[in-house]
Amino acid sequence: MQLNSKLYDVDDFFAAQELFHSSGWTDGLPVVPPTSEAVAACLDWAGMEPAQLVGIEPVRERSINAEKLAINAVMAGCLPMHFPVVVAAWTAMLEQEFLLHGASASTGGSAVLLVLNGPIRNEIGSDGTFNALGSSDRATSVIGRALRLALINQLDVRPGQIDRSTFGHPGKFSYCISEDEEGTSWNSLAEERGIPAEISAVTVLAAGAPRQLMNEWTTVPEEILETFAAEIRANMRNYSIWPGNYAILIPPQLRAHLQAAGWSKADVAQRIFERARIHRREWADVGKGAVVRDRGDTEYPAMESPDQLMVIAAGGPAGGFGAVIPPWLGHKSHAVTMAIGACVDCGPIPS
Amino acid sequence: MLQILDPTHEAVPAGVQHAPRLASLSGKNVAFISNGKEGTTGFFKHLSSFLKEEYGVADTRLLVKSNYSAPADLHIMQSAKEFDAVVTGLGD
Repeated sequence: MQLNSKLYDVDDFFAAQELFHSSGWTDGLPVVPPTSEAVAACLDWAGMEPAQLVGIEPVRERSINAEKLAINAVMAGCLPMHFPVVVAAWTAMLEQEFLLHGASASTGGSAVLLVLNGPIRNEIGSDGTFNALGSSDRATSVIGRALRLALINQLDVRPGQIDRSTFGHPGKFSYCISEDEEGTSWNSLAEERGIPAEISAVTVLAAGAPRQLMNEWTTVPEEILETFAAEIRANMRNYSIWPGNYAILIPPQLRAHLQAAGWSKADVAQRIFERARIHRREWADVGKGAVVRDRGDTEYPAMESPDQLMVIAAGGPAGGFGAVIPPWLGHKSHAVTMAIGACVDCGPIPS
Repeated sequence: MLQILDPTHEAVPAGVQHAPRLASLSGKNVAFISNGKEGTTGFFKHLSSFLKEEYGVADTRLLVKSNYSAPADLHIMQSAKEFDAVVTGLGD
């Protein structure tokens, strides 16, 4: 396979690290040196030619090709079997509605949350149980990292360059979750968003850091979900009032109560939609009284409709915790769901 | 010895050509492209006064983007061409 990227000769693994770090090509962590053999193996696995166009970042009109994504995937530690997921995620990120340039450049500091669904999860050994939002497994760790390295190297999303984040958050290293589909009777996130159950899919969201909550003192669905709604309301008061694709992670201990009561994901979303809303006057309680003005009675919902909520089954078997992941700029940047595999550059299958 | 590949976007970027500089701002019309954030109103109001008083700018106009995290709307880019100079920038 003929690759097109420039080649560098280095003495050894350590020399490769210094070249890449000093050139600004890393996230600060050691990288796997991207040899031609390793990159070609990724492209072979995905059935892609090196120059195959994955997509174009629409604002800066930068083309993103398979070879460059493969190089960054190898650097992240991806094996060939991880690469199709990286391609699908990037294809989704380049969709206009995701607003990749804004999400990458903003002082708001969002990272790309990636959710995996379908058979691919088991094929690559990903795990949506213990430590779901941390270093749960090799696959989600390296795939999430590949997204960030490619942002750095293909779109110059480096701190102080394109990336103007005031803080950012640790998801900028890797922010990939595998949904625990085997641990629930609920439809998967991808199914809820229009992908048939047997199709592997990715969902990407420009997202803030996860906000952990806890409620181990009730089995009543409305009360459990009120804690989630309260965390969303807090985000609206303290961070951003704009509606959009919030994601909530519900672990087995809390899912059991919801499922036992016959609640579906749609029921959960409807309840959260109804409860997660604030009035502008509440900003005065958190030091933002200056912008309440005469609009104190204006109500702001966290979502424009229930189907904007992304309900994800994930987390270890014990612990009445939950997580709320807020969107970066929900009314301008939207989650995108895309199938993996034979149709990496097309949208959801029409029903 | 290892041979490793360049991970960056190696395509040569298109050259940027600066617009021709005005010899003077006196009597000119200047547009401001604002991202619409809270702090911009006072800033551009002050800038407008400053340019008029110190540099004799004839008139200014504020063009506000519909999305502060996206490039300027097409109608703003078209409007901007009607002016002698445009002020834009990066801020928060």
